[in-house]
Amino acid sequence: MSFRLFELMLWAAGYTVVLSAISIAIGLIIGLLVCAAKLSSARALSLPATLFISFFRGVPLLVQLLLIYNLLPAVGIMVPSVVAAVVGLSLCTAAYQAENLRGGFNSVPRGLIEAADMVGLSPWQQLTRIRAPIALRLTLPALVNEAILILKASSLVSVVGVIELTRMAQNLAASTYKPLLFYAVAGGFYLVICWTVAGGGALAERLTKAGRA
Amino acid sequence: MSSTRPSPATDDIPAVTVKGVTKRFGDTEVLQGIDLSVPTGATTCLIGPSGSGKSTLLRCIAFLEEATTGTILIHGDPLGFAEGPNGQRSRLSPQKIRAVRSRIGMVFQQFNLWPHMTALGNVCEALVTVRKMKRSEAEDLGMAQLSRVGLENRAGHYPSELSGGQQQRVAIARALALDPEILLFDEPTASLDPELTGEVLNVMRDLADSGMTLLVVTHEIGFAATVGRRIAFLDHGKLLLNGTPQELFGEPRHPRLGQFLETYLDRGAATLL
Amino acid sequence: MTLDFGLMLDKMPEILSGLWVTLWMWVVSTILGAALGFLVATARRYGPAAVNWFLKLCVEILRGTPFLVQLFLLYFGGPFVGLRLEPVPAGLIGLTIYASAYFSEIFRAGFQAVPRGHVEAAECVGLSRTQILRRIIAPEMTMLVLPQCVNMAIILIKETAILSIITVPEMTMVIGAIGSQQYAFVDAMFLLAIFYWVLVEICGFLGRLAEARLSKFRFAVS
Repeated sequence: MSFRLFELMLWAAGYTVVLSAISIAIGLIIGLLVCAAKLSSARALSLPATLFISFFRGVPLLVQLLLIYNLLPAVGIMVPSVVAAVVGLSLCTAAYQAENLRGGFNSVPRGLIEAADMVGLSPWQQLTRIRAPIALRLTLPALVNEAILILKASSLVSVVGVIELTRMAQNLAASTYKPLLFYAVAGGFYLVICWTVAGGGALAERLTKAGRA
Repeated sequence: MSSTRPSPATDDIPAVTVKGVTKRFGDTEVLQGIDLSVPTGATTCLIGPSGSGKSTLLRCIAFLEEATTGTILIHGDPLGFAEGPNGQRSRLSPQKIRAVRSRIGMVFQQFNLWPHMTALGNVCEALVTVRKMKRSEAEDLGMAQLSRVGLENRAGHYPSELSGGQQQRVAIARALALDPEILLFDEPTASLDPELTGEVLNVMRDLADSGMTLLVVTHEIGFAATVGRRIAFLDHGKLLLNGTPQELFGEPRHPRLGQFLETYLDRGAATLL
Repeated sequence: MTLDFGLMLDKMPEILSGLWVTLWMWVVSTILGAALGFLVATARRYGPAAVNWFLKLCVEILRGTPFLVQLFLLYFGGPFVGLRLEPVPAGLIGLTIYASAYFSEIFRAGFQAVPRGHVEAAECVGLSRTQILRRIIAPEMTMLVLPQCVNMAIILIKETAILSIITVPEMTMVIGAIGSQQYAFVDAMFLLAIFYWVLVEICGFLGRLAEARLSKFRFAVS
């Protein structure tokens, strides 16, 4: 593999990282909203949230991507394929992150909330000062795990024509007749990215351990 | 049935002989040269503060832990290691270890009932898989053991459906089913609520009365004082005292034992003698 | 741009065959993947350190790369090392190996979750090492890991859709093709999504049912 081709692969790996990072960030915001709706006592909020989570966790990402990619133009929204890809990845990860966050909020020990109640914190203060910080810290390992899942799942956006790492490997494999080499290199890049994220996550977990419930 | 079986050894051979046993975990020496003999047909209680090494000693006798040095004999037969004429140790074959070990019954603090088997299943498991008994025969024997601990009407229940005290009694029946020469108890009531402790102690008292050899690690000083024929007091990995309840608990008391007992008396936990 | 349901009925044999391919490939790869994963976990726990180290590396590589890339490597790269596979066997082998890595991690955690005392109790009544593995550890572990195994099976249903990319004629490929022919791709994909959604929900429901029925075999709280 010439240096030029390696450079192309490296660029595509960077594209995969950026694409995934944006999707995870958007997914976290949507996930927080969905989680709040799901935890709400109003059925008008919790029922749609339940359906959202169930649908996006119950349908293969590939089908979601094909659906969104073809649905957007069909309803008159003309966007580049990369936008459709980000929308698909974000919605999918939002459903998983909403469930993770819900798990985090539910495992905040009841006694800590009662203690906050006893010293007179308002419900809003309880949420922002006690429940959210603890829940987010409890969710951190799940978030890292989800980031790795999305990095790998982002390979599927290659089918809607986004030139990320997998699609680049596919293109180069086809034009050079060296599929073994390019898919192995792509796999190597994914490994490095995933292991880096996992290592960073483990480090972050150690650093926040002192404040752990 | 087991209590009436004549013991293979006469009463002057101890049920368990512990000779110069030490146990080291890394840098800490948990047992620092223990010599102890456990008489046949009576109850011996091991008492001592937490961390004194009494559970470790019991686990060495059951060969759940390997003693770093020293030997352990069960009715004169070595368990785990044989001692040569010059005092050097050699490891016994797994079959030999299993054969000697099968003469010991063990009851754990955490019961350790197998959660996927019923009470009767727990009692019968070794009868079928180790003793190669027919399932129906094993079940008859198992039911007899369960009724001995007063649980014949719980035979079909899973451990999760039983109270802690009932689980511990099933665990005792499981050990009894193999007709052991000696029963070891590792703090059998330490993880039970006070109101469930009594039912387990009563079963143990009945076993002691029937003439079984029991070796009991316990914090129940009252039980030790009334049921134990011998009491061994361990402190910091050493066997400090070994004698009858009268010798240990009567006056004058060893100062270290006195200190240990006071913590119990302060809490009103035990009535002595 | 709507799906003609009359035409869909005409296509029923094709759809049913796609459904059949999805279901059998899912079931077979789940069972084989779980069996292989159990072997890997057992070898890692009881085998020599070198075996453990090698298998750990394999598992980490499989878990650190996308299934699609693994599948491309096998299907397109395979012929270059003399491994020429049709789409269906390639998909089945790929999915099984991929699944085995995740299953092995589930079983590894399961081994660690069986309390040490339960094994000691078995040692004390004289069960041999193999008897302990067969009679105590394996069944106890099965109860402990059942929820994660159901979860993995659900993930695998969804992964079967990826097999369409290497032209395995399963549901996604069949429905996608029908949708394209009729210029109603969106409707077709929507139907497909509903199909997977229902399948996953049924599977999850059955899993929760099984879990509830097995809950009494769990540990008693001491």
